This record gives sequence, C-alpha cells and structure tokens, in this order.
Amino acid sequence: MTRFSSELRDIFNMETQVGIAAAAVTLPVRKRVVGSLFQEESATLKPGIGARLGIEEVPICNGESASTMALATCQEALRRAELDVAQLDVIVDYSILPQEYLVPAWNMSNKLQHELGAKKAFTVGFSGGGATNFLVALGSAAAMLQANEKLTSALLVAADVTIPGNRILNPSDPVSVLGDAAGAMVLKKGVKGSVVIDTELHSDGSYHDVCYIPGGALAHPDDPALYRMELDKKRFDKAPKSETLKATLETLLERAGVKRADVVFGLYPNLSADDQQQFADAMGFSPGQIDTDNRKSHGHLQGTDFVVNYLSMIESGTVDKGQYFVAASHGMGFLAGVSLLEL
Amino acid sequence: MNTAIGIVGASYYLPPKRKAVTDIFRDEQIPAEPLAANVDFQRDIGIEAVHMASEETATSLALNACRSVLEKTATDPAEIDLIIDFTSIPEEYVAPTWSAAGIVQKEIGAPHAFATAVNTGGCASYHTTLKVVCSLMAAHDRYRTALLFAGDKVPEFNHTYYPITVICDGGSAVILKKGHERQRILSVEVATLGKLHDVWYIPGFHRRDPADKDRKWLHMTADIPKFNQEVIPMNLFMFRKVMRGALSLAGRKQQEVAYYIYPTFSTWDQKAFCQAFMVAPEKVFTDGLQRHGHLQETDMVLDYVDAIDEGHIKEGDLVMLTTNGAGFSWGAALIQH
Repeated sequence: MTRFSSELRDIFNMETQVGIAAAAVTLPVRKRVVGSLFQEESATLKPGIGARLGIEEVPICNGESASTMALATCQEALRRAELDVAQLDVIVDYSILPQEYLVPAWNMSNKLQHELGAKKAFTVGFSGGGATNFLVALGSAAAMLQANEKLTSALLVAADVTIPGNRILNPSDPVSVLGDAAGAMVLKKGVKGSVVIDTELHSDGSYHDVCYIPGGALAHPDDPALYRMELDKKRFDKAPKSETLKATLETLLERAGVKRADVVFGLYPNLSADDQQQFADAMGFSPGQIDTDNRKSHGHLQGTDFVVNYLSMIESGTVDKGQYFVAASHGMGFLAGVSLLEL
Repeated sequence: MNTAIGIVGASYYLPPKRKAVTDIFRDEQIPAEPLAANVDFQRDIGIEAVHMASEETATSLALNACRSVLEKTATDPAEIDLIIDFTSIPEEYVAPTWSAAGIVQKEIGAPHAFATAVNTGGCASYHTTLKVVCSLMAAHDRYRTALLFAGDKVPEFNHTYYPITVICDGGSAVILKKGHERQRILSVEVATLGKLHDVWYIPGFHRRDPADKDRKWLHMTADIPKFNQEVIPMNLFMFRKVMRGALSLAGRKQQEVAYYIYPTFSTWDQKAFCQAFMVAPEKVFTDGLQRHGHLQETDMVLDYVDAIDEGHIKEGDLVMLTTNGAGFSWGAALIQH
C-alpha cells in the first residue's frame, strides 16, 4: 500500500487496496519468423544480431484491426474479473503506436467504451514513453481509484499494430522486432491479489525523441519515408537506462519499506535478449526471475509485454502469495518506471 | 477533492499574427447559407479574427506559456514533480508514440519531474488531466507541484470547424500545488459517450489519399449528420450531468456559483448555454469569443486568466469551468477563490 500522509488517509479512507483482478491478451493467429521479416525489410540477420535479439518469431495481424483485438481482450479480461461492464468506472488506453485515427484528436478508448457498453465509464489515454506507458497507466489508474471514493474499477487496455514495413527497429543495427497484440488488465479496489503498492516514474526530456515517428504530423507531414518508428541508436546506447532504472527501483523500495532481496520476480519488456540481460544484471535478477520465453515467441509488443509476462508469471507459479514482484521499463531512455506489486 | 490542491497560476501565449475570419471563410470555402432559420454561421459566429502561428511550432507556443506561468508564479522548475501535456490536436510528431511533454521538461529544466501526456477528451482534455493529476497528487505525498500545458497549431486552411467555430492558435500552462488553499480545486467531473467517438476526428497519414495536396488527412473532420442527430440532443443533458456531478462532489449548489468559464465557440452556443442553465450572461466569460475565437482545450485556461485579470472573478467566488470536447466528452471543475 502506498504510504499516504495521515491527513490523506483519514480523508480518503485510502486503506482500500487496488489490485489486478484479471488480465488477458489477444495475439493474432498468424506468426512470421524473423528471418523472413529481415529479408522483407532489407536488413541482414547475422548470427550475432540474432543472438542479441533472441527473437524467433512474432505475431502479425492479418486484417484484424487494433480495436477489434482490443475489444476481444477487454471482454475476456472483464469476464475473468467477473466485472459487469456496466459497473466499470474508467478505461485507460496505454497504446503507443498510431491508432485508427490520429491521436490525440481521437482515442481508441472511446470506441471501446461504446463497443463494450461501458456506459458509466469515462476514458483516459496517455502518450509517450514506449512500454513505460503501461506503468503510467497502471500508476495513474491506481491513484484515481484510491483518491476518488466513487471509482472502484479500471480497465487498462492497449492494442498496437506495427506500421507496415517497420517491424525491425533500427534495421541498420537492429534493437528489436515488433509484433502485434492487444492486452488488457482489470484493476479493482479491494482485490487481495497482485496489489499495486506503488509506482515510481522519472523522465529525462533530453531523450524525448530517441524513439519516435518523425513524419505524419506537423513537423514532416508529407514524407512517407518518415512515417515509421525510428530509433536513434547512438543516443539509445548512451542513455543511462540501467542506472536510472536501478535508482528508480531503489527509491521505490525505500519508500515502500521493502528490501531488494524480497523482490522475487521482475516483469520486463521483451525488447531483446541483450536488453533483458542488461536489466537482470543491473537489478541483480537471476535467470528464472524474469520471463525470457515470451520474447522468443512474440518479440516486442510495446506495453502489452507486461500483460503477456504477467500472465506467464501467474501461470508458472514462480511467485507465491504475499511475495513481491516489480514491473520495470526504461522507456527507451526517456521514461523510466518501476511498479511494486504484491501477489 | 478534499486535499487542498490549488491553481497557483495560469498563463497563455497567442502568436502575434492575426487573420480576419472573413478571410478565413473565403480561403477555406465555408458555406454561406444559414445553418438554421435564425443562425447564419458567417454572420453570427461572433469572432472577428484569430491568431495564427507562422514559423512557431505547437510546442513553442506551449513553451512560451510555460515560461510565462513559471515566471508569474515564481516557480523553480526543479520543484516540478509532474509535467502533463493536455494538447488535444496533433503536435510535431505522431501520438501516442510521442508527446511534447519531454521537450518541455528539457527546455524549462525540470530534472525531477516525470513527463507524459493525456491524449483523450478533446477540448475537455483539461478536465481529464485535472482529474488524473489531482488523483496522483492526492494519492501520493511526493507529487506536490504539477505543470499542465497545451500547444495548439492547426494546419493551414483548417481554422474553421464548420458548423461550430473558428480556431485560434496558442498555448496555455497552469501550475498546481498541493497545500495551495487559494484557487482551490474542489471537484472535477468528466463524462464520455463512446458512441460519439468518431463525430470529430483527424484521419491520419495512413488514411491519406496520395493525390491530396491539401493535407486533408491532417484536418479535423466532422460527421455533420451524426453531430446534428446524436451530439446536439445530448449536449446540454451531458453538461447538466457533469456540472451536477462536480457540485455534488463538492457539496455545493448551482446558486452558489458566482462565475462560469465556458468555451468560446460562437454567440449562439454561449446563448444556448446561458438559457438552458438560467445563467445570466454577465456571469459567463464571453469576451474572448470576439477577440480570438476558440482555442480547443486552452479556452478553459485563457478565458479563466482573462476573467481574473479583468475583474470578473473576485476573492471568495465559486467558479465553474465547464466544457464539452470533440462531441464525445464533457467536463466540469469547481474552483474556490
């Protein structure tokens, strides 16, 4: 439980815990091996690069829209949470790739509100920060439930469909391979499992454009070559990602009064084998304390990596009731975030 | 909001260049026929001219407003814990992958903040953002100072959102602080009707027609039949819902509201609001309409600042900030002066 001031605790009766009631993921049935994607995008898959990425295949949409996948995964998450959609209070969108219309003038969460029949809910969405956008959504949704007596449930959702021809992130020196997916999590007040204890977020504005889509908006509206996710590899490598994450984790644990040794598992994005190893080394996680299998079979699914890895963690039984785990992401050097949870 | 979170200060920036709406209507080929028996869009809109950014970017408009509010409130950027971009139209790069929050953090030098953007709500994105930020500040001791900002630059030849309003470019910024008892945010209520998600939208680059040289894929597009059939009948009902919600949360009554901040869309829209809620026109800030037209979500900040500076809002007043957004969203916030 977040440590609130005594004044706030009295006023808001914030002793009520917020936890993950259920989660679900929708993956397209179709998969492609990364070798063929490298060929298609004129990138060379050298053995060293293959080992560094550690991604064998990725799920790819074959006509499914992002919101179709999102709707299916939201319905499944709500079913698992045994939550009547009419009682849902807030829908939070943490997608990171372009949507059906241009964001922020449009946002998928409103279409989902309609299609789900969530008449009581209102919608919120967040932008920027890569996979950390999930942690922004998680921390903000938990805060909304804690600070507003009338709000009791939140649905976090994202659906990311890669821009055609843009699956190899930085083809000249690949950093990841992007798959398509939708993920959803239901948060509820009073849930006793997977309690969201606290979230620490820190951004470094100088890295705001390390990973972004240069074209298609006001800066470069017309050039199709610029309408793709670009990574500035030099700055990405230079960014103190592990150091910042370590400091962020330490701040969070100190505030929560939890020892590092008591954190038994780390949920971390499936960007690459190299990136996951750097995280494990910096945080002191041993093999088996982070999931690496999903990376091989799914590649990087933006914030939905957390939902995929969370479901695998629950299914594996690696973490026991009452044990702590974290969800952490460097946000491509721009937005670092760590959430502390207790199963 | 029972925690004392107050508006320490707010500022805006308007680019110096102006364009008369008569010229805008001509250049954007706006229909000349009346909208209804008693409403002629071009004649009755009530806007004389709007500001237009030339070389300035959307982010630079926002940055000017941010610097202004930091100076006005004597806030050290190092104090800022949260930086939230609430811009509701496209910025320099594609969202949700990117937002201007990072640039603003870098440019003002706020090393301890976390920067993100709220990308929902249309013109009610200010209210959605207030809801999120007040929740974060109430739930966590560590969030004590927040900078909220927006920067709007509409593409060339997309200044008319027919049949609603004419759009002005500009930026706005607000500083919130926990423990600030003056200009205290008593409550924030937001509501969305998802079925209206596609009444107003911008198609996006992936939907562009390669033959389109006017960049219509970047233009705000309206489904006018749906707007007329589904938004108009719900609009005042939803305004009532959010205003009642905000009053109920704060334990206050409508009669106690001394002043209203309402969007500057058009004369007929302002009149309809006043009539529907039996609010005397002098209790609503309407002067901005003629001066600058509509500034999307920034209306709520700009009109609030001007209403204070021009003496419409006094110490002790209960102020209602209320707006709709992009056809699907409504927000109301109560501020105790």
